[in-house]
Amino acid sequence: MDRELIVAVRDLTCRYAGAPRDALLGVSLEVRSGEFHALLGPNGSGKTTLLRAALGLVAPEQGRVEILARPAGDWSRRDLARVVGVVPQREENLFPQRVHETVLLGRYPHLSLFGGVRAADRAAVERALVACDAADLADRWLWTLSGGEYQRVRLARALAQEPKLLVLDEPTASLDLRHEMELFELVRLLVDTQGLAALMITHHVNLAARFADQVLILAEGRAVARGAPADVLTRETVERVFSWPVAIEPFEGRPQMIPLRQRKDAP
Amino acid sequence: MKYVWLAAALLATFAAALLLGPANVPLGEVLASPILWQLRLPRAVLAFLVGGALGASGVALQALVRNPLADPFLLGLSGGAGLGAVVAIALHLPGPWALPLAAFVGAVGAMALVYRLGLIGGAELDARILLLGGVAVGAFAAAITTAIVSLAEATELRNAFLWLWGGFSGASWTTVLVILVYAPLPLIVLAAAARPLDLLALGEEPAQYLGADVRRLKRLVYLSASLLTAAAVAVAGVIGFVGLIVPHVCRLLWGRLHRTLFPTAFLAGGILLTTADTLARTVVAPRELPVGIVTALVGVPLFAFLLRRWTVS
Amino acid sequence: MRRWTQRTHLAGLVALTLTACAPAERAPVRRGIAVTDDAGRRVTLGAPARRVVSLLPSFTEILFAIGAGDRLVGRTTWCDYPPEVLAVPSVGDGMPPSVEAVAARHPDLVVLYRSGPNVAAAEQLERLGIRTVLFDLNLLDQLGPAARRLGVLTGQGKRADSLARVMDSLASQPPAPGTQSLAFIVWDNPPIVIGAGSYLDRLAALAGARNVFHDVSSPSAQVSIETIAARDPDFVAGLADSAVPPRYASRPEWRVVRAVRTGRFLFLPGQLFGRPGPRAAEAIRELRRRLEAAP
Repeated sequence: MDRELIVAVRDLTCRYAGAPRDALLGVSLEVRSGEFHALLGPNGSGKTTLLRAALGLVAPEQGRVEILARPAGDWSRRDLARVVGVVPQREENLFPQRVHETVLLGRYPHLSLFGGVRAADRAAVERALVACDAADLADRWLWTLSGGEYQRVRLARALAQEPKLLVLDEPTASLDLRHEMELFELVRLLVDTQGLAALMITHHVNLAARFADQVLILAEGRAVARGAPADVLTRETVERVFSWPVAIEPFEGRPQMIPLRQRKDAP
Repeated sequence: MKYVWLAAALLATFAAALLLGPANVPLGEVLASPILWQLRLPRAVLAFLVGGALGASGVALQALVRNPLADPFLLGLSGGAGLGAVVAIALHLPGPWALPLAAFVGAVGAMALVYRLGLIGGAELDARILLLGGVAVGAFAAAITTAIVSLAEATELRNAFLWLWGGFSGASWTTVLVILVYAPLPLIVLAAAARPLDLLALGEEPAQYLGADVRRLKRLVYLSASLLTAAAVAVAGVIGFVGLIVPHVCRLLWGRLHRTLFPTAFLAGGILLTTADTLARTVVAPRELPVGIVTALVGVPLFAFLLRRWTVS
Repeated sequence: MRRWTQRTHLAGLVALTLTACAPAERAPVRRGIAVTDDAGRRVTLGAPARRVVSLLPSFTEILFAIGAGDRLVGRTTWCDYPPEVLAVPSVGDGMPPSVEAVAARHPDLVVLYRSGPNVAAAEQLERLGIRTVLFDLNLLDQLGPAARRLGVLTGQGKRADSLARVMDSLASQPPAPGTQSLAFIVWDNPPIVIGAGSYLDRLAALAGARNVFHDVSSPSAQVSIETIAARDPDFVAGLADSAVPPRYASRPEWRVVRAVRTGRFLFLPGQLFGRPGPRAAEAIRELRRRLEAAP
């Protein structure tokens, strides 16, 4: 089956104004529909920069970024929001709102300037909430939700945009085990059943290995390795990138990383 | 249901503004009376439009700086307007429009200066820079104003300050026309910005991901809200409190979506200010109170009442 | 015996002469001049003031009126009556007074209007050893007491007393009969009118015109155009040196006021009407003349 190429990043080099070195150097990435990509790497390796550049927020020094075969810089923010749904790392909550109101914000790229909210929009909100297993939360105030519920709602908002690509920036950062697993399962499900593409930045190497189709490891702005988890997550690579000794054990056909203790003699 | 109350309040406010006053106009003669047509009606209409402009501007600026304590005059506009007015009087500029025009130019100058300050660190229209820059520019303008006042002739400047403290005594159809011609454009821009402003409440980056062109949005909103406020100051002096409280009251009653907030804040601001003006000119008759005092005295209890109802529910 | 008497007389004469030549400080204080000013201060001078600085046009006029004008060595830029005063050097506009400029005139008395900044300036002058006196002068009634005390301080007691009697009798007169009304409008945006606690209001009453805002107790007050229209004064009066209608007269909202619409303005010269002074009677006569002359 020929999968649609959503995002194509080719030899991307980026530098922030006034920075001493490049944030990204010669990085390439291709995300097609139905693929779950994980973006791994230590802090400051350029993961968020890659995300921003892929979405046209940062202009490349060199290289190209294309979304649906058009240069990223050519897309208006509104049109892009109908193709890519992002769950950013942080967002603010100045005034109290209900779940269905915040998910409705995801329909804004589809609403006309002065036009009203249509039945189709409410249906899309409903579908997104159901897909994220958050339909029963619809009337709750956001500030009453748990961390896991809140992330599901934010994912529902991104889904309400009816995008082809879901981008998530460290979505499980403060979640407990159950909610972490639930989120990864949910993304996997959406990719499999709705044919979406997904690109997730995460620190969770092991879950990325279990759930993702493709993994890209960045270190100091450079792509260290790109490919299937089994090919990419070797002991040498992981130890070099994360500067810590590990052991790699297979589990259900996927490599799982086990960090080793520094002190060999410790109990 | 709330809209019914709003409409009723609007009618009641205008009725009071048109029927109350020191001149005894018998009900039968009301429609033919020049007192009504030349004095009370333009004054009521002007107060309504200015209140509406301040209400809408308050909503916009609170969204822009993402701070519910923002007031249109927090961004240095009142200091700039005061400086403009004082300069006009000190230089004895001729014509009835010298004072309002100078106040307007002063306010716009302050707006431009605050914007320029934000550009210095590359943080164009950053919320914190706007607030800090506004306070700085306001203080700077106030200092120069004080210097001019101390060097120039005293009596006329005292009258300038009376004008600056806000009031509709000078209302006329000409002033109303100026606002009617001038205000619609910024108001339309704000209406168009209503949905993107909902997104901006999530933060600048999330708003961009949801389709808002944040840079353009901030510029347009800042420009429109400041121009509306500058026009309000030019015709009515500095009337604080309306732009701060009306958005909150409307948010309590109608929620935070800007598509509803802008029109209701406009109406509520207009109602509040027209009522305040009617009170200002009748309560201590034959004298008049500065309108800004009345808006505070009326607005604070109203806000406290609504807040209590909301937190209890 | 005669030689002893002669020597005693001579000694007595010498003693008397020596006593008469003693310095003035040794003379008892009750032989000097003292008044209590309106700041409650007791102001004393050894001899009538010879070099006076006046920091208010009204005091300047009073000093000339009581014959002490030749003692004036300093005036403000606003002091313009009588014309002779222009020959006296100016010490600035007096708002606030320039202590250095005043001191440079080496006065032995400085006359100030009692206000906050002036009290501070007076204290500074006293520290330099210069005598100061502070008077209230907002109302007609205060002219007489001020004149009287200035007379004491300048040794012109007789003329000052006669002026003060004229002022007091003027101040105690009841309002003159008359049918016309007026409003004093000093500013248009916002409209500010003169009320009962002021000099102009009193002048109007004595000229036989009723100030429609006489019920407002403060000297000035902010009102609405509608209030002015409702009270319907026959005339709108203002301090103006030319007969040009005020700038607000052409605006439609102001033309609801009958006096504005019909152009019945009273342009009162600032020099005569703008401040309380010895020419108050002349001002009242002038106002009455204009009221009667108006169509």
